[in-house]
Amino acid sequence: MPGPLDGVRVFDLTLWMVGPWASMHLGALGADVIHIEQPGVDPRTLGAGVPPAINGTSVGYITWNMNKRGLFLDLKSQADRQTAYELLQTCDVFLINMRPGAAERMGVGYEQVVAANPNIVYTAITGWGEIGPMRDKPGADVQCQYFTGFWSVNGKRDGKPEVYRHFTQMDASTGNVAAQAVLMGLLARKRTGRGQRIHVGMLRAGMALQSGRIAEYLATGAQHQPLGSAGFAAAPDQAFQCQGGDWIGVAATSEDEWSRLCQALNASEAQVDGLSDLVVDPRFATNLDRVAHRDALASLLQQAILQRPRRYWMLRLADAGVPCGYPISFESLQHHAQTIENGYLREITTSGWGDVWTGGPPWELSRTPARWFGTPMPGEHTGDILDDLTKRRASTAEPTPVIGD
Amino acid sequence: MAGPLDGYRVVEIAEGVAGPYTAMSLGDAGADVIKIEQPAGDRARGWSPQTDSGTSALFQALNRNKRGISLDWSSESDLETARQLLADADVAIVDKAGLSGELSWESLDAPGLVYCAISGFGPHGPWSDNPMSELAAQLASEATASLGTIGEEPVRHGGDIGSMYAANYAIQAICAGLYARDDSDPSAPTGGQRIEVSLFGSLLAMRSTLWVALSNPDEWWGFHLDSYVKPPDHGYQCRDLPIYFSLARIRGDAFDSLIDELGMDWARTHPDFDQLRTDGAGGAGRYAAELKPLWERGFSNFDAERVIEIVERHGGWAFPMHDYERLSRDPQVAAVGAIIDVEQGDGSMLQQVAPPWDFEGTPVSMNMRAAPSLGEHQDEVLAELHS
Repeated sequence: MPGPLDGVRVFDLTLWMVGPWASMHLGALGADVIHIEQPGVDPRTLGAGVPPAINGTSVGYITWNMNKRGLFLDLKSQADRQTAYELLQTCDVFLINMRPGAAERMGVGYEQVVAANPNIVYTAITGWGEIGPMRDKPGADVQCQYFTGFWSVNGKRDGKPEVYRHFTQMDASTGNVAAQAVLMGLLARKRTGRGQRIHVGMLRAGMALQSGRIAEYLATGAQHQPLGSAGFAAAPDQAFQCQGGDWIGVAATSEDEWSRLCQALNASEAQVDGLSDLVVDPRFATNLDRVAHRDALASLLQQAILQRPRRYWMLRLADAGVPCGYPISFESLQHHAQTIENGYLREITTSGWGDVWTGGPPWELSRTPARWFGTPMPGEHTGDILDDLTKRRASTAEPTPVIGD
Repeated sequence: MAGPLDGYRVVEIAEGVAGPYTAMSLGDAGADVIKIEQPAGDRARGWSPQTDSGTSALFQALNRNKRGISLDWSSESDLETARQLLADADVAIVDKAGLSGELSWESLDAPGLVYCAISGFGPHGPWSDNPMSELAAQLASEATASLGTIGEEPVRHGGDIGSMYAANYAIQAICAGLYARDDSDPSAPTGGQRIEVSLFGSLLAMRSTLWVALSNPDEWWGFHLDSYVKPPDHGYQCRDLPIYFSLARIRGDAFDSLIDELGMDWARTHPDFDQLRTDGAGGAGRYAAELKPLWERGFSNFDAERVIEIVERHGGWAFPMHDYERLSRDPQVAAVGAIIDVEQGDGSMLQQVAPPWDFEGTPVSMNMRAAPSLGEHQDEVLAELHS
């Protein structure tokens, strides 16, 4: 079965992470994504050269360019630029992530691309936005994590807030938002018959990712202080130590889950003063009461949970319908039934870097399934793609547009 | 008003964060969204912190641009109402907490419906029936390995990232499902379909760079690997506030000038001085944690704004570390319109985060409808159904 975007073609003029992440997901959904690289590019500079590397290429590049075909085009050369315009006539989507103004200098600004293909869904991704005092500043994931307060709600209890030490999450989130925008643009084109220019910036995408926490600040004027493993909104919703020292996360974020948790704790016959009265204790009557008395509540639960091992609680709580989970490492996840049966981690063969593990696809579509295939070498499909263009030229009377810059 | 999804109808039977944010995004983009709550209401209404209206700020922020009705799954006529609403809709967004088993995809007579189910751990496997939980998904997907100290109590990301990642993926899959339906050959229509997205799967997908890094690297080093064992990172503390800082292009004379201007002449005799010049000396670099005390000793004599100015002038990168208070006052945030006012039922204004896309041809309306009270649009929606 073909994917949902079968027949859609993407001109993918993206680099580093945010743009490639967006187009990789369009490719997984069935689009023919043609990823452009500069002829003769040094593989050690791909993906910004961020270590670690596999066979000399940053793992970032290998991760972020799956589900695509590779094409060499030198947009500084007039001949290649004409090839680009010809290729654009066959495309539905144009995707770029460069600083404001760069596309125009390369001959692929919106007006120039629309001259080649008036119905294109043209999507530009920037860091800080296309306006404002910071528009020309470099906008990478790390800066955006720090700038948007993504760090400000994490940390040990009573400690200083700390950064999430995985510097890809703003890039990936923005790429996901850009892929959404492309899809919405394609849907709008179905209805209106017209393409359009779309813009997505990392600053706004990064803030949208934090819609809840930021709105809480804006509504109350209070900045959350880190609570370790505990959530701000509800209690209990945190990690506890089990017999033997293992950690387990236990959450009851609705009244229904709370009463089921109380039942499960009672059924465990753990010996803690007050445990059997939890469900009628006025300090814990509603979620807001439990949040107000979260320390007293956590202390009671910790005493009970410490009396049984984690395997016991995972079975007991899952059986009672109480949300629970525990920390698992990659090495275990590779072999875990939950990842295998859902296809959430898989080993993929790449063109130049052997077999690698990666995530995805994150969606299951019953009638138009997604796909996931390995990263091409830069320019790997140049011959195929140019041959198709030659055949098309021979079979159509449509002249190749000549667009000056 | 227009918006790219103008004309589509969405029914949400979900609660908490993931489902409601998914539906709200479609509503922001122009779809007509009907939110169905059971009589107890969306659990997020009772979460902390609350606004003056007696509902949580989070609920208000994740449920704008929806009309709300309340149905009781113990009533057969309410179930029938839900079936009719779903049969009329283009999209359903459901989660287990919101859903009755009698409204499963298989049980509906709605061949064109794009039906998106969001779960904690995915539709298959031993945990497929476990209830959704942000914490459980973060723990199980290793997200908490990027915070705190290895071997100690796990530290969660406080931003509900599992739910938000799942929502962002759900939005993609729903739009793709609509495209497949509306683009297909009328003689052999694709129709609607069932889509599955989970918090666990989304968190794992978002960490893909780490999985590739852990596959077979040339060298077992790099910030996609050593982040597991690095200490908590609080940024670089200046006299008043923390900043992010990286040397970037600061080399040679520029480096010497930087040291002079920061008053760090004392560092020239420090045994680690040569390390300070290397690529790994700042930001997320290889030696950043070890060298941070030296930089902070220099930065402690200046306010953050001044340090940022000095570093940038020498060719480095430096950015303020905003909390939400400073973020909300930042001129760039104002320039791009990232914070909007949403008028509430009583005429008061609540500030929220704007939707993240700019559509020049089908612009999104910034005239937002406030989140509904429980059952607020009951009569209106039911009248439409029977008209």
